[in-house]
Amino acid sequence: MLRRCMWVVVCCFLASCGGRGPGGDPPASQTPAFKPIDASAAVFWDRQTTETGALIRTLVDEFNAKRPHALPVKIEHTGGYSDIFRKVSASIQAGALPAMAVAYQSMTAEYAQAGAVADLDPFIRNAESGLGPEDLDDFYPVVIETNRYPGFGGKMLSFPFCKSVLMLYFNKKVLSHAGFDAPPATWDDFLVQCRQIKEKTGKPAYAVSVDCSTIVGMIFSLGGEVCDGKQTLFDSPEAIRAFGIIETLAKEKLGYPITPGSYDDETALAQGSVAFCIRSSSGRTNVAMLMQGAQDQWGMVRIPQGDPAHPRTVLFGPNICIFNTSPEQQQAAWDFVKFFTSREIGVRWALGTGYLPIRKSAADDPGLKKFWEAWPYNRAAFDCLPFAKSEPNLTGWQEVRALVEKAETEILAGLKSGQDAAIELKRKADAVLAGQ
Amino acid sequence: MIGRILLYLFLAAGMAATAFPFLWMITTAFKTLPEALSPALNLLPAQWQWHNFVETFQAAPFGRYFFNSFMVGSAVTAAVIVSSLMAGYAFARLDFRGRSLLFGIVLATMMVPFEATLIPNFALIRRLGWYNTYPALIVPWCANAFSIFLMRQAFMGLPADYFDAAKVDGCGHLRFLFRVAAPLVKPALVTVGLFAFLGSYNSLIWPLVVTSEDTMRVVQVGLTVFSGAEGVRLHLLMCASTIVILPTVALYFAAQKNFLESALGSGIKG
Repeated sequence: MLRRCMWVVVCCFLASCGGRGPGGDPPASQTPAFKPIDASAAVFWDRQTTETGALIRTLVDEFNAKRPHALPVKIEHTGGYSDIFRKVSASIQAGALPAMAVAYQSMTAEYAQAGAVADLDPFIRNAESGLGPEDLDDFYPVVIETNRYPGFGGKMLSFPFCKSVLMLYFNKKVLSHAGFDAPPATWDDFLVQCRQIKEKTGKPAYAVSVDCSTIVGMIFSLGGEVCDGKQTLFDSPEAIRAFGIIETLAKEKLGYPITPGSYDDETALAQGSVAFCIRSSSGRTNVAMLMQGAQDQWGMVRIPQGDPAHPRTVLFGPNICIFNTSPEQQQAAWDFVKFFTSREIGVRWALGTGYLPIRKSAADDPGLKKFWEAWPYNRAAFDCLPFAKSEPNLTGWQEVRALVEKAETEILAGLKSGQDAAIELKRKADAVLAGQ
Repeated sequence: MIGRILLYLFLAAGMAATAFPFLWMITTAFKTLPEALSPALNLLPAQWQWHNFVETFQAAPFGRYFFNSFMVGSAVTAAVIVSSLMAGYAFARLDFRGRSLLFGIVLATMMVPFEATLIPNFALIRRLGWYNTYPALIVPWCANAFSIFLMRQAFMGLPADYFDAAKVDGCGHLRFLFRVAAPLVKPALVTVGLFAFLGSYNSLIWPLVVTSEDTMRVVQVGLTVFSGAEGVRLHLLMCASTIVILPTVALYFAAQKNFLESALGSGIKG
């Protein structure tokens, strides 16, 4: 009797483990529809807090006020990106999703595998509520292209939301103390300046935030690529050069890694402990706050390049994906996306947060022009948009990112040479992508 | 005499090392952001920023969060005390078939990480229609293996003669449990309650996942509003942390005597 009961329990457990979404595994051609998590509103799971959180809530209120009879958008703070990823993943299993959520490309690719993400092309092409050719041309191509997923037939599975580029922040006082009146334009100059600063101050010049995006940005800026289809290019000369720079920084004690997940590099920069940190342009507001308004003491420019005549940097920042819920929820979500990415709102968002406006026409906005004139470096990030390039949006890239950061840490800790770390990274990353 | 002085010096150093982070947290609550982020170990702010507390309470509805935390924590504590009291007694004193196997299974649940149960638990909560409700915050935490283990050990320490004597007087298991045994294992019971309350009060991921409205959120979720994608408002975070930590410190001091007794009795070391 006991044995029979145990079999029943085991069978029930196995049966419960089998479900993948509502109704189990959907056929390849069929997309499962998920229940809206709140039928009375198009819920938007976001991560903005403090002033940026207040601004986006204001924008949502304005959007809802414009369409009083339509389904309102409701924004919900859902923690950090990893919390949002966890909550969306759990919600996919539970069969109920919000109308939209903020997501990096790697997150969207995971959701898309479960059939949870809506293809945005029909919304974009819609004659009434879509985007016309002029509108589409107004977006920087890179911010649109990054939301097309080669692993899913090149479909547009997300739309640009908060975009920023990798920038070099520098402390003018430290630089001038070492005899430099401008930040480095090339990586060779960067190392020269780091050495000189180390000699003058006796301290490392660069506080390193270990981050895959920084490595990818370095590889791009040296003229390289990180992927060719599902093969990574971490053994390319440009990638090996990038890891070699990290090795030099570590060996000559020109740079030191900060506590993972912290913003100690920005703090060190503001306090004049280091000359450089490399971060997203969206960190501008935080650095400005730390510098307590002393705008003449610091600046931000594009990251050093291999060839300054052909500059490149990495584009990052999350997108919005709309989930496969009801048509009404999806339409409300799309209307909000369209509203949020309009020129006027994009400029307000950029001025209030430090993220970049993603439309070319934003450059003509009087408010933005005034902002750029107020401080010369305010425009630097926007000028990088034409040559910025995003990280690959492949399924499995999230895992590759962790491997890149592990390789960088090993180099900084002196455990591996740049070349060895790059070659091992290539092998492991290729295995991850091949397994998808 | 010298030995005693050295001992006190050693203890004082230990106390200072333990107390410093708390003092730093409290004084940082009164600093500006650059001061708070300074690597210098200056304990006192240059100027006391009292308005940090105003800013903290303006950033999120902490009053509501406190209410929810207390409400959920109290319910979880009461439920854990009852469930571990009864299960612990059953495993310690009742003789039934498969007792050891069942106890082993209960203990084995301690090996299952929270991450592994998050998704199935959330899916269950959704299907029960409990998303964004108090039951979602309370019910999954109403029993746990550690508390059952602790209570079982406490009941095992009671002489069997007590029950035999009570039985002669006509006492059944339930009456013996609540009238005789429970008062005798009070230190263990207080410890279980303390752990249950602190576990509930300090939890972040589960409340974040199963709630979406400010009206249902708890203090730990409230603390996340000071960590943005572009930096942490450390001074405000410390300000909020100072307020959030007060009830737990007060609770610990209130239960300290029983907690120490229980720890010494069960062989648990901190």
